[in-house]
Amino acid sequence: MTNYIIRRLLLVPVLLAGVTLIIFGMLQLLGPVERSALYVVDFPKNEKQIDAVIKRYGLDDPFFVQYWRWLVGVQRPDTQGNIVRDGGILYGDFGYSRTASQEVIDIIKNRFPNTLDLALWTIFPMLSVGIWMGVKAAVNQNKFFDQAARIYSIIGTSFPTFVFGLLLLMLLYANNQWFLPGKMSDWVSILIYSGEFKQYTHLLSIDALLNLRLDIFWDALRHMIMPIITLSYISWATFVRVTRSSMLETLRMDYVITARSKGLKEADVINKHARPNAMLPVVTMMGGSIVGLLGGVVITETVFNYPGIGKAAADAAAQLDVVTILGLAIFTGLILIISNLVVDILYAFIDPRVRLS
Amino acid sequence: MTNQLLNVRGLETQFNTPEGIVHAVNGVSFSLDEGETLGVVGESGCGKSVTMLSCLKLVPMPPGKIVAGHAFFKGEDMLTMDNDEIRKVRGAQISMIFQDPMTSLNPVMSIGKQMAEPLMLHLGITKEQARNRSIELLEMVGIPQAADRLKDYPHQYSGGMRQRVMIAMALSCMPQILIADEPTTALDVTIQAQIVDLVKRLREELGMAIIWITHDLGVVASIANRVSVMYGGFIIEEAPVKDLYAEPLHPYTIGLLNSLPKINREERQRLYSINGMPPMLFKKPKVCPFAPRCEFVKDHCWQENPVLESYGRDGHRVACWVDVTSGRER
Ligand SMILES: Nc1ncnc2c1ncn2[C@@H]1O[C@H](COP(=O)(O)OP(=O)(O)OP(=O)(O)O)[C@@H](O)[C@H]1O
Ligand code: SF4
Ligand SMILES: [Mg+2]
Repeated sequence: MTNYIIRRLLLVPVLLAGVTLIIFGMLQLLGPVERSALYVVDFPKNEKQIDAVIKRYGLDDPFFVQYWRWLVGVQRPDTQGNIVRDGGILYGDFGYSRTASQEVIDIIKNRFPNTLDLALWTIFPMLSVGIWMGVKAAVNQNKFFDQAARIYSIIGTSFPTFVFGLLLLMLLYANNQWFLPGKMSDWVSILIYSGEFKQYTHLLSIDALLNLRLDIFWDALRHMIMPIITLSYISWATFVRVTRSSMLETLRMDYVITARSKGLKEADVINKHARPNAMLPVVTMMGGSIVGLLGGVVITETVFNYPGIGKAAADAAAQLDVVTILGLAIFTGLILIISNLVVDILYAFIDPRVRLS
Repeated sequence: MTNQLLNVRGLETQFNTPEGIVHAVNGVSFSLDEGETLGVVGESGCGKSVTMLSCLKLVPMPPGKIVAGHAFFKGEDMLTMDNDEIRKVRGAQISMIFQDPMTSLNPVMSIGKQMAEPLMLHLGITKEQARNRSIELLEMVGIPQAADRLKDYPHQYSGGMRQRVMIAMALSCMPQILIADEPTTALDVTIQAQIVDLVKRLREELGMAIIWITHDLGVVASIANRVSVMYGGFIIEEAPVKDLYAEPLHPYTIGLLNSLPKINREERQRLYSINGMPPMLFKKPKVCPFAPRCEFVKDHCWQENPVLESYGRDGHRVACWVDVTSGRER
């Protein structure tokens, strides 16, 4: 196991290099003149100005020179004449977002906890209920529960998110304001600014619990419930479908008959023999879902005006803010790499064939 | 007279498939005495596995359904037992091993854990005792360094070793019957011989009765006392092993025996094969199921399905209208 984890960890820098190369490479598809426009605030009046920008930022240097500079930044004298580093994503400097008027890294710091908050409340119910439903459907193949789960998963996978989200908004907010869009009510944000409310984790719902403020917790939930439902119904449907079919396949395996032929109780046959095997494809899919949820769920966050990473990316994209989009893309790539790492380790934990190979 | 352990009467099992009802087993009757070894032969899809699985109610239901018959184990009908009762038979008194040792062990559970399950369940012993017993059992089936190998997983064992593990596990609670469903088909020839020898040795030591399902008439000759030949969901011939080889009475059995390569002949003989395809089982046959492929077929064969009846020597039974030596109807 340790060997496997070490080997898997060694892969991380390679993946990181790959992701950054691809993202940076895509930007390089634009010519130096087009890229210079990213640095000039006003529309350039003459070519000299453009040339000056290209020269100053080295926009026509060879690809790998620019890539390296982008990774580690450049040393420049500041106004006092001290040499300081400027840029360098390896140092967490993702650039300055001109549309949000703040550093991209600060956007991530502010927004990611909100996305994470939402993701946590989506992932755990989704995993437990989705898997439970899928297993139960497979064990009761073609009976009522199975039919219901199948109908649900067909509807779930075919209903577009934005329509569903808007329907929820109409029913639960516009009509009677049970649940609210946004992140928190005004009185909560005032409380947070006042500093009276300690932010241990920056996840509002968790902090509310840690501060023993059930009223704030309830306020957070009221804002999160609609996006949670919207995010869940599709992923639940997918989890139910994948778990069900994987479980059905597993139940036909010889070792399940072996387990029964040993005289085991049916519950043990299912829980100890069939289900662990049926979980393997589910774990793989889980990786994708987690990346999707953490990388920012653009449509859902936009529909509910929820200030997460996805909403930030959508706002930046709408205003052609390339620097911000690039920064967020790198961040999403990072999440992808980390979640895949976690999933692979989890997979190895379940499957000895991977762990001991 | 020796004690009868298993007595199966008129067993019928069907599968409900999207293409229609598959009549996999169509009224099979056989019995097994204490300490006896019964060979069951027949081509792929003739219902050998389903027959044995049905006896222990192990056919997947749905799509399977046991529609008729009895399977008496020491006088008690297993087909009317409830789940808890039949679980006390499975693995404790009747055990099974299967064709493909690559798939019949759970890939994500250690061998030690899989072996401990029936021991703890049926013998009510502790984990520690089960571990010690498992080591003894693995040594009994010839697995070296058994104590170190309990923590290993199936993929760390070779095919032959896994089948040994299956045998050890099946025999762990000293069952009275071992059902071996083509246990050597998936293995190389040398390993096949080792597994057959192992089972023979264990039969001497433990004295259990065996039902040995196979395609291989050669193996049956070396291990079985009595043979049942199945075709299209029926037993079509049954005889003590010597009689069956010396004097086969059913045209299908004759075909099977002719398809065995003859090692004592000098010239390399082409394998004899029976013309035609095994029957589709979507309709329950009302006529002799072998008629479309039979060299001896008569009009009568197309009108009525022959039943299994005693003929010739003691204990020899056959389901055929025709006397193959004369070529005439009996
Ligand atoms: N789960 C199932 N669903 C549908 N049909 C089945 C199922 N299991 C078996 N059958 C059908 O029952 C018939 C008998 O199958 P069975 O497995 O008993 O054959 P077999 O004699 O053991 O063959 P083999 O030598 O290939 O193991 C076959 O026609 C098969 O298609
Ligand atoms: S009954 Fe007729 S068709 Fe069937 S095996 Fe005998 S001779 Fe052939
Ligand atoms: Mg079979």
